Amino acid sequence: MSGIIKSEPFTLNIGPQHPSTHGVFRIKVKVDGERIVDAEMVMGYLHRAMEKLAEERTYTQNIPFTDRTDYLASMSNNLGYVLAVEKLAGIGVPDRGNAIRVIMAELQRIASHCMAVGAFTNDTGAWQTPVMWCFRERERVLDLFEMTSGARLTCNYMRIGGVAFDLPREFEPATRKLLADLPGFIDEIEGLLVGNEIFLARTRGVGMLSAETATNFSLSGPMLRGSGIAWDIRKADPYCGYEKYDFQIPIGYQGDAFDRFIVRLEEMRQSVKIVQQALDALPGGPHSTHVPLALRPPAGEAYARVEGPRGELGYYVVSDEGPSPYRFHIRPPSFINLSALKEMTVGGTVADAIVVLGSIDIVVGEIDR
Amino acid sequence: MTRQWTGPEVAAVAERLVPGAVDRSTPAACYLKAEKLVETMAALHAAGETDFVHLTNLCGVDFWDHFEVVYHVQSFVNNAIACIKVDVLDRDRPAVPSVCSVWRGAWMQECETYDLFGIRFEGHPNLHRILLWDGYPGWPLRKDFLSMPGGLQPGLDEFSGTKRREPPPVSVAE
Amino acid sequence: MPAFLITNNWYDFRDLGNLSGKLLDLLDDALPFGVVYVIAALLGFVASFVIFVLPSQLFVGVYGERKLIGRIQSRYGPNRVGPFGLLQPIADAIKLMQKEALTPTSADRALMYLAPIVFVAPCVLLFAVIPFGPNMVFADIPVAIVYFLAVSSIPVLTTFMAGWSHNNKYSLFGAMRVVAMTISYELPLVLGMLGVVLFTATLGLQSTVLWQKEMDIWLVFLQPLAFAIFFLGASAELNRTPTDIAEAESEIVAGYLTEYSGMKWGLFYGMDIGYAIAAAAFGVTVFLGGWTFFGLEKWVPPWLIFIGKTYLFYFLFIWTRGTLPRLRIDQLMTFAWKFMLPIALLNLVIVATERMFWVEEKADDSIVYAFALINIIAAAAAIYGWSRALGYRPENTPQKARLVSEAGGFVPVDAHGEGSK
Repeated sequence: MSGIIKSEPFTLNIGPQHPSTHGVFRIKVKVDGERIVDAEMVMGYLHRAMEKLAEERTYTQNIPFTDRTDYLASMSNNLGYVLAVEKLAGIGVPDRGNAIRVIMAELQRIASHCMAVGAFTNDTGAWQTPVMWCFRERERVLDLFEMTSGARLTCNYMRIGGVAFDLPREFEPATRKLLADLPGFIDEIEGLLVGNEIFLARTRGVGMLSAETATNFSLSGPMLRGSGIAWDIRKADPYCGYEKYDFQIPIGYQGDAFDRFIVRLEEMRQSVKIVQQALDALPGGPHSTHVPLALRPPAGEAYARVEGPRGELGYYVVSDEGPSPYRFHIRPPSFINLSALKEMTVGGTVADAIVVLGSIDIVVGEIDR
Repeated sequence: MTRQWTGPEVAAVAERLVPGAVDRSTPAACYLKAEKLVETMAALHAAGETDFVHLTNLCGVDFWDHFEVVYHVQSFVNNAIACIKVDVLDRDRPAVPSVCSVWRGAWMQECETYDLFGIRFEGHPNLHRILLWDGYPGWPLRKDFLSMPGGLQPGLDEFSGTKRREPPPVSVAE
Repeated sequence: MPAFLITNNWYDFRDLGNLSGKLLDLLDDALPFGVVYVIAALLGFVASFVIFVLPSQLFVGVYGERKLIGRIQSRYGPNRVGPFGLLQPIADAIKLMQKEALTPTSADRALMYLAPIVFVAPCVLLFAVIPFGPNMVFADIPVAIVYFLAVSSIPVLTTFMAGWSHNNKYSLFGAMRVVAMTISYELPLVLGMLGVVLFTATLGLQSTVLWQKEMDIWLVFLQPLAFAIFFLGASAELNRTPTDIAEAESEIVAGYLTEYSGMKWGLFYGMDIGYAIAAAAFGVTVFLGGWTFFGLEKWVPPWLIFIGKTYLFYFLFIWTRGTLPRLRIDQLMTFAWKFMLPIALLNLVIVATERMFWVEEKADDSIVYAFALINIIAAAAAIYGWSRALGYRPENTPQKARLVSEAGGFVPVDAHGEGSK
């Protein structure tokens, strides 16, 4: 457009009330026609100062807070936090507790990726159909959570030293039935979208991140793996006995939105495999060790991380021998994954920016905490 | 398993790469001097034996009399993670050099730390309050931030007696 | 069935056109000159719009679409209001009328109020030329195709009015997209129609149907390329999902409708469906034999056949809406200019050659079957060949993520490995 037609960039606020910002999140984009020349993120609309609140509550009382950071992956958040406290206090977990944690974390990954895949396809404009299909399967996972923990979304299930309750008797048959159905569902979604020319046109080559850029921007999870880096905390730094399970790390080709999409689909398949193995080898015994309610870990610090659905979910806990953490810091994957948003959106169109945002799979509760 | 570098290990490598960079080291972490922070981080990022290409976590901690900025850095190829810290002694105008030139992705976490602790990161391309709004009174995650009007603090009476509920030993900033 | 009922007289239940014609004849005798035209206009409006279009909008467009999309999305759709949720569209309409019609303070009020009204009128006009049966066409004008294409372009102006008047950036985005897209898609659409017109040698809709009846072949078989172009172009102009970039819910909120509320929005929504039904009716008339069905129209009322076909055609729109993601604006433009336009031109060349041959050689009418075969093959070859030429390589697209067993650093894409590009 240079020379012939004079154009002038103008500012467009995508959000905070926008169908595709997945919550109250705002991108101030400067657009020249449809082309984005600058992007700035505005966040904090959902800031609840959880890190401050946690300093005033006991270690056990903080577990419900972790549910509410990434409300689409509460089990994984619980897990990351209790691992950090266990590392800090030197508490062991019985084998059954570990196996149940793995089952729950992987089911949570499936549920969260269902949401991620569905919302992402919705952002590309597939009018609700993949979302509804994904929700259908996600509901079944949430049914399992309800059966086990009594809650569907904010489960509050993990405890320091194990899990809150043992699995109910009907859990195993219900889970096996779900696991039998899930591969078919993933194939269904794949058949609907992976070969679809419009979907490919919208996602291939959009939001490209080279492996170097992805690393330098501290990205993690499917964002990092989509760029071709084989990094998965479950493999690299196994916790809860992940080394016992046979699974693989899916990685992408060129780091575009489509790669992140297929990585997520494949991760769901791998999660199904892990849950299957964990169920087959579910050990007996207690599900939790006894931990005093007013836990006072020795002074020190611990950084524990898990591979959450959105990436490396870390908890940094500092203790001063008090009943509550001296410092409680969450390394929120979707917050840090956003740091490369400008790199990915500038130069693309407004429609691309939405697709990129969808491919990051943000949860605003986690970004703002 | 990921290899966890202990403080002295990191300190030895850092001292070799950039002489005079290390302040002290504890078993958990290596404390770098603020003035040589960026140089040392760049060296640790580039060196093959450390190869800390990924800045995982960056956060601040308030210890009443000083702040610490904590960096967790990791290497994919070597499968190793290390904890590096910097002391920030000046409580009235805390400042640390920004590591954005080493890891560009640090900008958001540095903004967050600035927002909640008031620690300025010098050399940061766009340091602003990322979660709270401009002009928010005080820095919430500081221990002397009284979170409620009248100085009431949330919390639990039955677990009283921790150091944090005592009056702050230093004057309240802002 | 008593034979005396199907005699093409006014009491012939198959063709309501005879009845109305008879009525008008009687009135013409009784009333002063000219009044009968007013009555005829009202009758046509009542017949086509109030009896057909409005119920179609409500019960096929709103209820049927929501129900079908619900089934596509494995949920129930409306099922609460009335039996099977059938009263849902009426409840929606009542709700919309009750809602406050908000006007932004900086909006251009006149344009904003005018736009929904101007949007409704062409939709009513479009049905004037659609033949519902042998005599059931309100205005059988000889240039009905041109009329239809012309009148169906008016809503673009309206959407631009709507988008411009709000002083809202999202609306403006939507409006600009509509204008750009419609200009692009009008061209291949008209070129595709030209192929049809060349074959039938008429611009009238009723005569097009009669031509198909006489030749015993639907134009969709003779003109598969033109049909594809019509379907894609129509769905683009109607803002249906694969090309609904003007409303693009996930990108620009609701496009030009962002600031509309209440019945002003309702008019747009309802008339969008009205236009879609009109496009379906036009497509059925031109490409799918209109009210004919290979002789079945002798026994079944032709208007029933026509309505059934129209709804089936409309189902195609619903189906694509429930299945496909949305294209980006530049991809849509590329598609129109680089793909559809050359294909439409190619179609025109093929049709012109065939028509020339047909006329010059004075060939038998049954040659159309040979033409149909040739055209279907040519369409497939043209679509495949041209898309390959434009760089369509499905085999190069990885279908699945690569799998590695060990964590580590960057894994380069193996040039010869599985799933390589």
